[in-house]
Amino acid sequence: MTSGTFDRRRFLAAAAAVSAAPYVRTSRAAGSLNVGFWDHWVPGANDGLTKLCNEWAAKEKVDLKIDFITSQGQKLLLTITSESQAKSGHDVLSLPTWYAAAQAKNLEPVDDIVQTLIAQYGSAGAGVEYLGKQDGHWLGVPATAGSQMKGPCARIDLFRQHAGIELTKMYPPGAPPDKVLADKWTWDAFLVAAQKCHKAGFPFGIGMGQTADSVDSAGAIFAAHGAHLVDAKGNITVNSDAVRQTLEYCKKLVQFLPPDVFAWDDASNNKWLISGKGALIMNPPSAWAVAKRDNPKVAEQLWTLPSPKGPQGRYQPNIPFYWGIWKFSKNKAAAKSLLTYLSQRSAVEQLVQASGGYDMPAFAGLRDFKIWSEVGPPKGTLSHYPPTGDQIVHMSGAPAPVPIATQMYSQATLTKMVAKFTQGGEPMDKVIAWANSELEGFMRV
Amino acid sequence: MAAQATLDRVAHAHHGSVRRDRRRALIWSYVFLLIFVIFFLTPPIYMFITSLKTSAEISTGSMPWWVSDPTLSNYVELLTSPIYLTFFRNSVMVALLVVVVTMLVSILAAFSLARMKFWGSATLATGVFLTYLIPDTLLFIPLFKIFAYLNELTGIEFINRWWILVIVYPTLTIPFCTWIMIGYFSSIPKELDEAALIDGAGYLQLLTKIFIPVALPGIIAATIFAFTVSWAQFLYPLAFTTSTDQLVLPVGIVTTLIKGDVFNWGQIMTGALLGAAPPLIIYAFLMDYYIAGLTAGATKG
Amino acid sequence: MKKFLRRKSTIALVMALPLIVVITSLVIYPAFFSIYLATLNKSMEHFVGLGNFSFLFKRETFWMVVKQSIIFAVSAVLFKALIGFFVAHCVHNVPTRGQRKWRGMLLVPWVIPPAMSTLAWLWLFDPSYSAFNWLLERIGVGPVPWLGDPYWARFAVILVNVWVGAPFFMIMYLAALKSVPEQLYEAAAIDGANWWQKMWYVTLPMMRNIIAITALFSLIVTFANFDIVRVLTAGGPVDQTHVFATYAFNLGIQGNDIPLGACVSLFMLPILAVAAIFILRDIGRRGNEA
Repeated sequence: MTSGTFDRRRFLAAAAAVSAAPYVRTSRAAGSLNVGFWDHWVPGANDGLTKLCNEWAAKEKVDLKIDFITSQGQKLLLTITSESQAKSGHDVLSLPTWYAAAQAKNLEPVDDIVQTLIAQYGSAGAGVEYLGKQDGHWLGVPATAGSQMKGPCARIDLFRQHAGIELTKMYPPGAPPDKVLADKWTWDAFLVAAQKCHKAGFPFGIGMGQTADSVDSAGAIFAAHGAHLVDAKGNITVNSDAVRQTLEYCKKLVQFLPPDVFAWDDASNNKWLISGKGALIMNPPSAWAVAKRDNPKVAEQLWTLPSPKGPQGRYQPNIPFYWGIWKFSKNKAAAKSLLTYLSQRSAVEQLVQASGGYDMPAFAGLRDFKIWSEVGPPKGTLSHYPPTGDQIVHMSGAPAPVPIATQMYSQATLTKMVAKFTQGGEPMDKVIAWANSELEGFMRV
Repeated sequence: MAAQATLDRVAHAHHGSVRRDRRRALIWSYVFLLIFVIFFLTPPIYMFITSLKTSAEISTGSMPWWVSDPTLSNYVELLTSPIYLTFFRNSVMVALLVVVVTMLVSILAAFSLARMKFWGSATLATGVFLTYLIPDTLLFIPLFKIFAYLNELTGIEFINRWWILVIVYPTLTIPFCTWIMIGYFSSIPKELDEAALIDGAGYLQLLTKIFIPVALPGIIAATIFAFTVSWAQFLYPLAFTTSTDQLVLPVGIVTTLIKGDVFNWGQIMTGALLGAAPPLIIYAFLMDYYIAGLTAGATKG
Repeated sequence: MKKFLRRKSTIALVMALPLIVVITSLVIYPAFFSIYLATLNKSMEHFVGLGNFSFLFKRETFWMVVKQSIIFAVSAVLFKALIGFFVAHCVHNVPTRGQRKWRGMLLVPWVIPPAMSTLAWLWLFDPSYSAFNWLLERIGVGPVPWLGDPYWARFAVILVNVWVGAPFFMIMYLAALKSVPEQLYEAAAIDGANWWQKMWYVTLPMMRNIIAITALFSLIVTFANFDIVRVLTAGGPVDQTHVFATYAFNLGIQGNDIPLGACVSLFMLPILAVAAIFILRDIGRRGNEA
């Protein structure tokens, strides 16, 4: 058999599968289904998801129950670990960041769904694959709802007035970034801008607490400087020059941040920006969406832009979400049918619409919606939200192996190091030694 | 004569100064009481004020100690929200069932331990007291694992169901309630027993016809205690229940009302206030029994 | 056989049976099971003996939690006792008729479920919207990072705990104060004692047992406290307000390492046992006195 024939056969098979997929699966779906989705930060986004699910449930005659689980107070993480321990709970759960890979042995492989989606809509990107696949099997369907970029969202007026940076010129609406200006948007320039805004009374609000927002932004800063705590093979590389330099950088940055950032949770930076107190936060567009409702004067000055560039590149915090099916689920057929339905182009478009542009679909072929260039005010505020150009989407903790990275993430090792070095005033060596012992602990089985 | 007059005058002056001292002590007492009342009541009052605010008002960061645009929308939203009402219903069911179970077990056991000496009863009484000292924070992990295991073994849902709490809460309430009841039962004069026994009453009748009526204040106090502890429990439900429709109020409010909607604090405070209402109402009406229950453990046997 | 059933001791045992069953199955057995769990590895597949314990001993965070739990429990109980004692005296001084309403108002923090009232405190301490900071700014003092700075966070946790618990102490001490016979005070007054001496020689000795029992009870409960720390700070910042219970929850349930969580919980036992012994001794003594 020549490779040509083989390819053709594969292509025909794939084409047949693609055209039949949504219909084949649903014919066996019935019974009841219990799903737990992440509670969205954008007001009204949950309704979009509910509507789609109910449509599906009516069509398939499935008795569907939907729970929206918040990530505040680590409720979503708690649910995931509780259900994995108890081997009972929902059938389908939203699994953010590392948690799909971490629960690999309890999740039902969904290769069939995802391969079909890749054939339909293109690749999901190396990062999403890294976090969604273990031992060659996809364990979660890359979910639209919740998948986000967590780059800077800043105040146009304050940046113009105090930092001397014209955001709309650097990242113009509906046009590619100004190369010269964007090249100057480095972490060092970020530091200078932070200082100026701090002096003007509108500090940046970069959380250094233990929740996801803080860990994600710290992850981008560290990665941009080439500082990784654990390498891809699992060796602890915390005692490196890059890590030390990054800690020094963070020390300088922290001076220009509000004093209580070390206790910030995921809502604190949103509140900081919406209240008008801050000039910049690292957050997806949920803060802007809420400001539109509660403080429109601030909302119309907000601009989402890519992260600054570091010596190693422009690392953009990316938080992928997955929809996973537990192995103990009693209605896997229905679950798979639902997830397939939610991943079709029309459904994805509705979800992105309902979230006001917050949700960033994982598959390359689904990122061409007009919404990002059209929402406002101000118009174009999200035109630089989809990751393009020189941005490297990054998951805080990568490239460490999944079990270690999961704990680094949930125990917030990066931000704790920064806190110890800055607020805690501990000497660099002590901080590194502490991190070392933490990381050794994470290696336990 | 003069001596007597002097004595009188001294006594009078002494009395006057004593009265002045007492009045000064009284004024200072009132001052400090006022200060402490302000300290103790500030959070609930703040909860109430915030509960009348819309999220728009909260987000502007205006005067936090007063409402400029009061609204009952938070109350209406919560009281018509099926999720919140489910929390309420779950809390009520759990609390009532736990109270019934607790009182049944405690009264029987207290009667047995207070009146009827049997081999090992003294050790048991001490043992009961000691178990009160094993905190729930020690037990929640093994209990979680035990229930997970039972779940796998029998297929009955032992995790993530509110009725598991009915199994677990009594461990918190029974020891103290038994302790209280032992105290009350011990103080019933033995002559009553003997009179009844002579009249041919059985032990069960002794319990129901004599002990329970006489110790009724203690029973009420113990019931209130069991209810309040069940209502306020946070750790066990946090560990054992995760689905929204299985949550009880404390966990429900903390884990579902605090969410991405960052200025939801008006509704959160409303939820917290409504959640604190039942114990507060019981307290308002049955304050004396409440206090009696608290002090019973220490001042009685 | 019937006679055996009719015997007093059998009936007594049967009546006490539910209690015994509940305690054994839901308290004693899990406590021992906890010890077994603590000897397993993370995925609970192998036996590692004291491996978890030695791992914890080497962790700086763990010793920090031990230190924090002890400081938290001791200082909170101390303040609760002092405030309770002081306020009980104030209430006692007020004419009896008015006492009821003061007592009523002062006990409110104890009645509200702690998880709910802690939410109020959480909002009062919020980094951006703290009502306290709002007042402070009005009088020119800068905003306080109530939950952001480790020392302020510890203060906040102790403050909320004292707020919740002081009323209990007040009620207990008030009951005890009332039971001190008036004649003793009059005798002391005749002997020329001032208020301080009355306190030292009359009040305190008479209340000694109540003070001890209440303090020890509270020490145990405060030591094992979970709700307040979990809701207010979740152990932060940087684990500096963690106590045993919240740390065990963090590692055991959140961190998916149940044996390690059980291990942390078990460390409470020695301290609790010591407190329990003291309480038992005091209750026994009081029983003799009465």
